[in-house]
Amino acid sequence: MSSWEDDDSAAAAAAAAATTDVELLKRAWRNEKASPEILRFDSALVSRVREQIQLLEETLDDFGESGVDDLVVSLYQMDLDRTLFLLRSYLRLRLQKIEKYMMHISKSEDLLSRLSQQEQRFAKSCTEMMEKHLEQSVLSKLPYGYDSVTRQSLSSTEDDMVPEPQLDTFVFCKTKSDVGAFQLDDIGEEVVDLVADDLYVLRYKSIKGLVESGQIDLI
Amino acid sequence: MYKALSDVFDQVIRECNEHNAQFQSLIRKMVEQNLDIETTRNDEHYGAAVHHLSLLRNKRCLMAYMYNRAEVIQSFRWKIGPVLPHEIQEKLQFSEKEYFKNHSAVIKSYMSEMDIDLTVDMVPPKDPYIQVRVLEDIGEVSLGDHSISLTKNSLHFLRRTDTEQFISQVTSSVLVLPGHEELEKPHAF
Repeated sequence: MSSWEDDDSAAAAAAAAATTDVELLKRAWRNEKASPEILRFDSALVSRVREQIQLLEETLDDFGESGVDDLVVSLYQMDLDRTLFLLRSYLRLRLQKIEKYMMHISKSEDLLSRLSQQEQRFAKSCTEMMEKHLEQSVLSKLPYGYDSVTRQSLSSTEDDMVPEPQLDTFVFCKTKSDVGAFQLDDIGEEVVDLVADDLYVLRYKSIKGLVESGQIDLI
Repeated sequence: MYKALSDVFDQVIRECNEHNAQFQSLIRKMVEQNLDIETTRNDEHYGAAVHHLSLLRNKRCLMAYMYNRAEVIQSFRWKIGPVLPHEIQEKLQFSEKEYFKNHSAVIKSYMSEMDIDLTVDMVPPKDPYIQVRVLEDIGEVSLGDHSISLTKNSLHFLRRTDTEQFISQVTSSVLVLPGHEELEKPHAF
């Protein structure tokens, strides 16, 4: 009987832990890491985490002055270091993804709206730099009609030289709650029953909506 | 990273211009014969198509070459730092050096807007303290409330955050013991 109670309280503790901002950031970080395309930036979450980091730093300074046990100080320090790493890695990951698909992102309003203000500026300047560089090194030397950075030649009817993320790649994911029968393709031939807390390997494209609505986590 | 192949590059550019000249002259020929360029399928048409497609292929190769190099150059900012060592510098073309400089500046302005340094903390921290061996003389370094002298080959047990600036560069002046200084591997998107 007691083990049942232990399980329950452990589950309750885990549920409580899952709602802290650091946990949320960790989830955002993990999703960003596994997703082929850029996801929506959670400005509120990032600024909350930054406030908490500042608070932790102040606490640590106070500890230093009041002579708290070194072990306690180093535990706090470790917690701070980990949170800082998570934040930096998250921001870095996004920048690297923007670098990779800068032209694709810059030309889509929808994708641009997923970036923070600073990231939008970053994407814009990055694209300008890359275009300038390619213009200088290659395009200016090519004959007229072949000197576009996004199209192969004047006869291309759409942008066919812009690197895009592979949205139909497979991703590992874990459901947070029961989704029920979920349609993987447009015609309804492939349906999968998504049960809570289960692992799946699915095409990113088909579960994109679930990732965005937070019903499923990428791992 | 290899030295930029400027000779081959120029050769391909010359080939592109040659293709274009041939292409233009074939089209002109068709125009002179009063043929409709859109619908006529004669020798000149297929000749022109071959030149056009060859030119596209060359363009794709040139662009892919420069673009891939540019991606490597971008990653240098994260792995090496804002200043490239001489042995890399000399492999880059003028335009690539410019690109590195501009791209670094863009990252720098993002970091100052966000007020956070993203070039440290490349590996998940395991312990707040690490043991390091100094590889080159760094001299007196002030760490918060005290300062220590980082002389060559001396061993120290320091706060990780204090040593990071010396470790993050590839031409590392400090060695982490036991080795966990591997840079964060970029996830394959």
